[in-house]
Amino acid sequence: MNAPVGHYQYDSVDRAFLQSRIDEFADQVARRIDGSLTEDEFKPLRLMNGLYLQLHAYMLRIAVPYGILDARQMRKLSSIARRYDRDYGHFTTRQNLQFNWIKLEDTPAILRELAEVDMHAIQTSGNCIRNVTSDEFAGAAADELVDPRVHAEILRQWSTLHPEFTFLPRKFKIAISGSPHDRVAARFHDIGILTRPGPNGPLFRIFVGGGMGRTPLVGQEIFDSVREEELLATLEAILRVYNAHGRRDNIYKARIKILVQALGIDAYREAVQAELSQMDLARYRLTPEIVEAIRARFAVPNLHAPDNASEIFLADQKRDRKFARWVQSNTHLHRAPGHIIAVVSIKPAGGIPGDATSEQMSRLADLAEQYSFGELRVTHLQNIVLGHVRQDKLYALWQELEKIDLAAPNHSLIGDIIACPGLDYCSLANSRSIPIAQKLSARFANADLQSEIGKLSINISGCINACGHHHAGNIGLLGVDKRGEEFFQITLGGRADEKAAIGSILGASLPEDEMVDAIARIVDRYLAIRGPGESFLDTLSRLGDAPFKEAAYEIA
Amino acid sequence: MKRPTRIDAEEKLVLTANCLLDGHIVWLDQEGRWCSSIAHAAMFEPDTIDAALEKAKAHAQLDEVVGIYDVVVRPGPPLRPVSVRENIRAFGPTVHPQFSKEIER
Repeated sequence: MNAPVGHYQYDSVDRAFLQSRIDEFADQVARRIDGSLTEDEFKPLRLMNGLYLQLHAYMLRIAVPYGILDARQMRKLSSIARRYDRDYGHFTTRQNLQFNWIKLEDTPAILRELAEVDMHAIQTSGNCIRNVTSDEFAGAAADELVDPRVHAEILRQWSTLHPEFTFLPRKFKIAISGSPHDRVAARFHDIGILTRPGPNGPLFRIFVGGGMGRTPLVGQEIFDSVREEELLATLEAILRVYNAHGRRDNIYKARIKILVQALGIDAYREAVQAELSQMDLARYRLTPEIVEAIRARFAVPNLHAPDNASEIFLADQKRDRKFARWVQSNTHLHRAPGHIIAVVSIKPAGGIPGDATSEQMSRLADLAEQYSFGELRVTHLQNIVLGHVRQDKLYALWQELEKIDLAAPNHSLIGDIIACPGLDYCSLANSRSIPIAQKLSARFANADLQSEIGKLSINISGCINACGHHHAGNIGLLGVDKRGEEFFQITLGGRADEKAAIGSILGASLPEDEMVDAIARIVDRYLAIRGPGESFLDTLSRLGDAPFKEAAYEIA
Repeated sequence: MKRPTRIDAEEKLVLTANCLLDGHIVWLDQEGRWCSSIAHAAMFEPDTIDAALEKAKAHAQLDEVVGIYDVVVRPGPPLRPVSVRENIRAFGPTVHPQFSKEIER
């Protein structure tokens, strides 16, 4: 077996299943085109295959399980962008990829091309368990306790076409991480899982009922230490309680967070325990043999670096200040000596967050093969990670990234803006998100200024569905349409890490053309009043929002 | 039940949809054909729009369109939708000028 590094290797059963599923969908598409199926009949079928009808065209959302791609898959996405779309793709906050200009009649052919590289679009839409997300530094980070990808794959297999959970009250999102530093926004998921080592195998801390949208809530801990063998049974029971009692009468109250809030976490836990007590637990037991069989379908990278890799790396930084700054913001410590994790920002100054051209995708595939065992990770911050780069090769990689305009030194800085597609593409949005993101990233393009400001997240959503995660942004922007004019509401203080918090509304919404200046004044005020070593959130916590409110609403 | 459309004096209504095959946006013209430019859209008064909508929906499959609904416009010239959303549908995404409707034509 020539398994890819980082994700599960399909077998003949997986591939046969995909082919039969594509045949089924091809027949449904043909019947829709000839009129045998009405749009009302066809809509749930196309959504189950990731096909939306958006503002200007069909949009196809392709699953990237736990965010990990191999080079041949990235190359295929590049080729699809070139052949069937408009030469670009959009990486999403769910670690997926979307094509915005797809033709209905082309979708079976696209799905067949995806299947050639073991990819699909199943469960990227609909009221089912969506693509399971994970830590973009999984299996590589020095601060990781347990590599979560094997369990993410187990969750993927458990949740794919799960017969009980295909028609849940509403969509359902699960994230899993194995680091004490929450990089998956676990507490903002329907179920968030944090794993750590235990005396007899990994233990799983489970949060339930988190989410954004019109009712933002931080998830609550339902279990602290679930054993590996009980993981699937526990998740099954949590889902069953939701499936039985979640509201189906009101789409705005249908997510699990509303049920958890209504029952209270203790009553929800009791309901789950009651469900577990009458389940055939042996059927759901996750045995060490099963776990090892899945683990065996992941290749292990040979992380050998020359003894002087770190010395070369330090010398490269000393010689080139621009490279050193990129290293400072866009790398993360690797668990293996002589290696490093590189974050490729898909957020050039003035660019569209998450958009990559087919040429960039193709080059990223080449670079992954050359520098990181052919493996790439899509992050929920809409960037790409090369997980296992040798330190002595990082300078060469960075130079290649510069050539394709993907070397912005802004990871986790103010230029690393998360924005939903907004009204430029999304049929649900009320206002545009991308233009504000572009204007802000251009305004703060100066790398020295970004470095001086330090870690500060700006998240922008074009409607209350909050796909831009504005509730979790240190500065969040929510767009509204006031009869033909776009306005934005500002929230401050959101964060998605282990201290997860929902941002508070600063005041009345401002017109779109005043937003960039208002944010710039907030940032200027922060720089003027911060204490030594204080982050934006530290200053906000110490002084409250009054100084920032005064700055935001200052009349120019 | 169709939600009542808020419409001010001087404003009219037009019908829009997406093409079934490629999802592209179209507008119903004076001859009852679906065209790609809002400039050629037929304008309706509030008291005639429901009948026009019903008639268009009855022909949707034959016309290969989907998701027909009415849009409030200011007659102009140029004829423009009132909402930001419908302006972007009519003229293309603002962030990819190369995909604007004007350039496509």
